Amino acid sequence: MRKFIVRRVAYLILTYWAFITILFLIFRVTPGDPTTLYIPEGMSQAERQATLERYGLTDPLYVQYVDYLRMLLSGDLGTSYRYNAPVWDVLTTKFWNTIFLMAGAMTIAYTFGIAFGAYIGWLRGTAKEKYGMVLALIARSSPEFWIGIVLLSIFVFQLGWFPWGGIREIGAEAPASFFDRYVNWGFVYHLVLPVLTGAIYYMAQPILLMRSSMISVLNTDYIEIKKAEGLSNYTILYKHAARNSILPMVTVVALVAGLSVGGSLVIETVFSWPGMGREMVESVHHNDYPMAQGAFFLMGSVVIFMNFIADIAYAFLDPRVRYE
Amino acid sequence: MSTNQSTITTATESARNSVATAYSKSRSILEGERLAQFGVIVLAVFIFAGLFAPFIVPHDPGKINHGEDGDVLRLAEPTAEHPFGTTHLGRDVMSQVMMGAQVSLIVGLTAAAIATVVGTSVALVAGYYGGKIDNILMRLVDIAYGLPFLPFVIALVFIFGSSLYNIILVISLLMWRSSARVIRSEVLTQKERPYVQSARAAGASDFRIMFRHILPNVLPLVVLYLTFGVAWAVIYEASIAFLGFGDPDMYSWGTILYEAYINGAIRYAWWWVIPPGVSIMLFVMSVFFIGRSLEKVTNPDLRHN
Amino acid sequence: MLEISDLEVRYDTEHGEVHAVNGLSVDLAENETLGLVGESGCGKTTTAKSLIRLLESNCTIAGGSVELDGRDLTDLSLKELKREVRWSEISMIPQNAMNGFDPVYTVGEQIVEVVQAHESDTSKGEARERARELFEKLGIDGDRIDDYPHQFSGGMAQRAMVALALALDPKVILADEPTTALDVVIQDRLLDVIQDLQDEMDVAMLLITHDMSVVSERCDNIAVMYGGRIVEYADAETIIKSPRHPYTLGLRNSFPDITEDSQDLISIPGAPPTLVDPDEMCQFAPRCPFAEEECWEVAPEPVEYGDGHRVECHRADEVEYLRSEAEKHETWTELESTETDDELTETEVKND
Repeated sequence: MRKFIVRRVAYLILTYWAFITILFLIFRVTPGDPTTLYIPEGMSQAERQATLERYGLTDPLYVQYVDYLRMLLSGDLGTSYRYNAPVWDVLTTKFWNTIFLMAGAMTIAYTFGIAFGAYIGWLRGTAKEKYGMVLALIARSSPEFWIGIVLLSIFVFQLGWFPWGGIREIGAEAPASFFDRYVNWGFVYHLVLPVLTGAIYYMAQPILLMRSSMISVLNTDYIEIKKAEGLSNYTILYKHAARNSILPMVTVVALVAGLSVGGSLVIETVFSWPGMGREMVESVHHNDYPMAQGAFFLMGSVVIFMNFIADIAYAFLDPRVRYE
Repeated sequence: MSTNQSTITTATESARNSVATAYSKSRSILEGERLAQFGVIVLAVFIFAGLFAPFIVPHDPGKINHGEDGDVLRLAEPTAEHPFGTTHLGRDVMSQVMMGAQVSLIVGLTAAAIATVVGTSVALVAGYYGGKIDNILMRLVDIAYGLPFLPFVIALVFIFGSSLYNIILVISLLMWRSSARVIRSEVLTQKERPYVQSARAAGASDFRIMFRHILPNVLPLVVLYLTFGVAWAVIYEASIAFLGFGDPDMYSWGTILYEAYINGAIRYAWWWVIPPGVSIMLFVMSVFFIGRSLEKVTNPDLRHN
Repeated sequence: MLEISDLEVRYDTEHGEVHAVNGLSVDLAENETLGLVGESGCGKTTTAKSLIRLLESNCTIAGGSVELDGRDLTDLSLKELKREVRWSEISMIPQNAMNGFDPVYTVGEQIVEVVQAHESDTSKGEARERARELFEKLGIDGDRIDDYPHQFSGGMAQRAMVALALALDPKVILADEPTTALDVVIQDRLLDVIQDLQDEMDVAMLLITHDMSVVSERCDNIAVMYGGRIVEYADAETIIKSPRHPYTLGLRNSFPDITEDSQDLISIPGAPPTLVDPDEMCQFAPRCPFAEEECWEVAPEPVEYGDGHRVECHRADEVEYLRSEAEKHETWTELESTETDDELTETEVKND
């Protein structure tokens, strides 16, 4: 087990290094003159030169690369042009806004998805299973922005039950403390539709996966032996069938949780949710490169970290992997 | 030597047979499935629209239409003349949606094809050679999995320019990772089969074993990933376009929704919003329905009852 | 002790009703080992599973009775069956033991689970102690109860499976091809261990196999199954040395090591019947080199030939003729020429 974890940590470091390098390459080694990306329009030649020097963009590439690594390691993501503030400061709040949104969506999606998927897997071959499948496939076929638009037009523009977007009442000041910001009804009220959008979109996968996983497990010899042992349906379904079916899910939960950070771009744009995803879109539209890079860096970090968690969790749950 | 040769022929034949049976199985399963039939019909309609859109659109999608009084037909409700109404600039929504089918088809098919070819090749090489090569390639897959999809795609599309070509390339640049991972594990099991050993004993080259012997046996899985790849590529293209990074010269369903969204059409112009949205949904759904039936060919467990 | 009479098991399929078990009767005495032999698809496994009603949803027991010590198991509710019969009275060993254990729990945990499910007053410690003892009886280190199934070798896993099957001291063990996944030496050793334990713990065993050589050595009695019925039943020696049914003769031909005199393997051409709404006839007639008009029209009744030797064949009386003819290769190959093209190719492949 220790050997396994050590190896996984080594992979993690390798992947992370590769990610950071790709990030560097994307934002520095672009076709044409990369420096234009870093220079807001309308600067004089002298200002331009000063800015370039300030960001170290006149140095040779490898020096820039080393500086860049040093900056990231010390937690410095640079300064946003648009906010004229350190990227890290702007992103902290937005980071948590995104995490709350996606964590909420993923929790609902996977709790309901796994339970529902196990249920229709158990009912294989029935009409109920078929309808469940069709529903799941419809949800899976709808991009997040389309689900969001449908929910918006029904619950906001038709029924008027929920606000059209944002994270708190328009014009309201953001409370200073972390606790006050997230633990209040206004936040939950604004959270409902975006979370629901994500939940519907991400629910399809656990349903389909849990169902097919369940069906494979139900066909195994050991389930037959457990039946022959005279164990109750309940024990067989939950202690043996679901436990084994859930194994592949664990990896997927973590993987998708990571991926969903990227999906937040769309949901946050539809609901004007002030999170990392929307910030990334806006900063790309506004040429705010340090900001885009910072948001990308944070999102990638979440993805890689979740992938790592997925590997480790799988090993803990499946003894076969542990002893490999 | 002659025995070896005959084993090889049998191996290749069995591979060919497995493709043939998979094909006939797919056909017979598809015949029994109403959902898949629905998928095939809907897809046929989209393919028809995609192929002939430029010739059969009722209006030029970019033309600003005028009413009888000579005013621009802004946000006109659906009429016989404009079955899906018009946009805020007086453009015909139906014509734009029909042109959108073309974009989805091009992006879906090309991106999925590139991603599957790359993914399958990586899978064959990694699974067949194993050891160091496998390890290196799988770390590459890990790295690809470490990149958040949409942010990565958007950053690249923005830097290289929002052309359809770039969008396709960038989508395939990340999408190969899933087929590589899954097909590799299938290659690992195929590698141990006797037909591979006898082919090797007969002196077949690695390349030949991989592509002539193993590939036909993992083909059903490849086709499955190709199918799902089409669906995902269409969703990704639509998402990129919806975020405002679509090819400005093309009418993609995502672009149409992007314009409708930023102009607040959700509130008052349902005809501008529903057709592109439903089109994406129907297109992707059809592909999934077909894919789900194909899945039963590759996974007999799912065929129960 | 276990009396199966006129058992009928049917599958409801889209092609029609499959009479998988079609009026089967056989008894099993205490501590007896009964071999149930036949080709795959003859209904062996279905017979065994129907005893504890371990059947697919489209499969039902359509008639007959299964009496265990005078109690008809087909009358019990599923709940009673689970609580009072499954595993505590009748347990089973699957074909591949490695797949018989849930991979995510240790073997010990799974033995404890079934013990506690049936004996509510047995503590976990006591159950573990029992698992340990069983392991040692089977020649496995007692500490290995804390290992996961995948940590065992194939033969070891099969022993662990036997330990699990014996955990509740059942009266009958259903062993479905328990050794086919193992190599010959391990097979033999495992069967030795099982036989010793069987005597020690007084358990009867229904040994299901297609392998004549296994049953000939290990069984007290042998039931030869064809088309959902027992076509011949006798003690092991009689079945091997002086069978009367053409199918048994044919089956014997395909295992060379049983009788010294026949040298080359002769397989029975054709395939077992599908049993979809079967006609009233001898089910073996289409493949039987000795079939006469009567065989195609009337299903043979069982006839006794002393000492419990039971045969269902219209021509069982002409046994000398049948035996001498059955030894000849031509007897079986001549039949091929009358087969349809389809079956012809299949037999050709087999003979190659």
